[in-house]
Amino acid sequence: MHVCTGCSCLCDDIDLKIENGRISRAYNACRRGAGIFLNISSSRAKPTIDGQQVDLERALQKAQEIIQDSENLAIYGLDTTTLEAQRLAIELAEKKEAFIDDNSTFCLGDFVEMILKKEIPSTTLEEVKNNAYVLFYWGTDPYHSLSRHLSKFTYYPRGGKRQRGYEEDRFLVVIDIRKTHTAKLAKKNARFLKAENDADIIRGFIDALEGRSPKIFQKEIPRILKEMEKGGFNVIFGGLGLKYGLGGDYALLKEMIERMNERSEVYFMPAGCHPNMRGFNELLFEKTGHVNRYSFREKRSSDDFAFHRLLKNDSADTALIIGSDPLNSLPLEYAGKLSEINTIVIDPRETFTGRVAKVTIPSALSGVESGGTMIGADGSRIELNPVFEAEINDEYILKKLLEVV
Amino acid sequence: MPLEFSKFLKKLSVEVVVGRWSFQVEAMDRGKFSDEFIERSAVIYLTEEFGKANGFKEGDVVRVSSGNKSVNLKIMFTDVAPENGAFMPNSIYTSYLSDFSNFKRFNATLEPTDDDVTKPEEIMQKVLSKI
Repeated sequence: MHVCTGCSCLCDDIDLKIENGRISRAYNACRRGAGIFLNISSSRAKPTIDGQQVDLERALQKAQEIIQDSENLAIYGLDTTTLEAQRLAIELAEKKEAFIDDNSTFCLGDFVEMILKKEIPSTTLEEVKNNAYVLFYWGTDPYHSLSRHLSKFTYYPRGGKRQRGYEEDRFLVVIDIRKTHTAKLAKKNARFLKAENDADIIRGFIDALEGRSPKIFQKEIPRILKEMEKGGFNVIFGGLGLKYGLGGDYALLKEMIERMNERSEVYFMPAGCHPNMRGFNELLFEKTGHVNRYSFREKRSSDDFAFHRLLKNDSADTALIIGSDPLNSLPLEYAGKLSEINTIVIDPRETFTGRVAKVTIPSALSGVESGGTMIGADGSRIELNPVFEAEINDEYILKKLLEVV
Repeated sequence: MPLEFSKFLKKLSVEVVVGRWSFQVEAMDRGKFSDEFIERSAVIYLTEEFGKANGFKEGDVVRVSSGNKSVNLKIMFTDVAPENGAFMPNSIYTSYLSDFSNFKRFNATLEPTDDDVTKPEEIMQKVLSKI
């Protein structure tokens, strides 16, 4: 069995059929996962300098020169690579007194940080499968972002105390700005709350917990709380909709979870996509006490050290991007600046950022062509079982870059 | 010559919600410069009811503008779009139109156009020429 690195579920039951040295079938994988395994040879990156293809050694050498000469290096990405490579990137950042950041700054890093600081209780997907009754999906559409979340871990599987199937043994709550594919499942034993304002819904829960009638969803909120008491073990999966809906102020959310826990067990888990975002957050947290946006020169974390802010403020002369494509995922007025500075992209596939980079270095697909460890969204450590072993992977490349600092 | 009614439509203002769309994510692995990626990314989803009420049909190309930035996208109908708004898959198109202040939800206008769908390379060119 192989591990899919398509998202933070890190499904470890992928059965592959290999014919003539090629993967021809990916059993158990979702659309996203199958896309990775079945398209390993598509759109592969090539070693380039200034857009011209060169041999790998030349690209590596140029990257070494750039890193060596850089005065303000920013390392970014890292959420699709292994813990082993992330550790090397952090070592490189420390030695170069560089900035280091990942997607979690604009993704769900705030939630992971609250969990690591034990400000909110969390649990594992295995515990959810065996115990959870009320399942909140708040500002997330796992049908598209974590496609096997419901079928493998939360809503559909039978396990532990939950042997009677989703029709009776799970209660689904979907809170979203629109009626997503996940929300369409909210029929029997379920509720869909249309989120015009996430804070108002949280206040509604707090009001009901304090014995007042909530101002919105007067019928739904008391019923959900009653179900939570009945179930005894409940979990809230929070996504980007919740994060951006709250605008970075989580005091109400923490208060609601605390108050809910006075009546029944309630856990919170980020519902984020990047396979090893939590791994990066945990490694940096162990090292510095912060999960992202860190400057090793100033030995502190700050919004000013978020990757997009570094670009906006012209604070970095060199960007080392590993397994990420800022031109696809960050507002382009910031990401576009990568063409102005020395940008090095390490990625298995062709990316938009690679097209504007000074140097591109092709790497292996983690989990398919290289092994290592990742940490899923629930904090579980998963060993990857690659199908092939490529010599040039993120670890190899980062070790090469470390040779010159 | 057929009467092209859509040319007489006014601008439609909508809030665009940005999110994951697994069909589009799948296309990324086949290549961000592939036709399939453009087909699944250069799209704006409306509910059929909302789209038709505003004179759009599936497959129409519209100019989607936010602030002083615009791209041409194909209209697709889905029952999971916001009732009176639009949905776009997370991609270089949404990264171009949005900012961190409105990263996952931004206001935009839609107006008919006879131009082709914008390619990622054209967006990159627009961004790089401003720098």
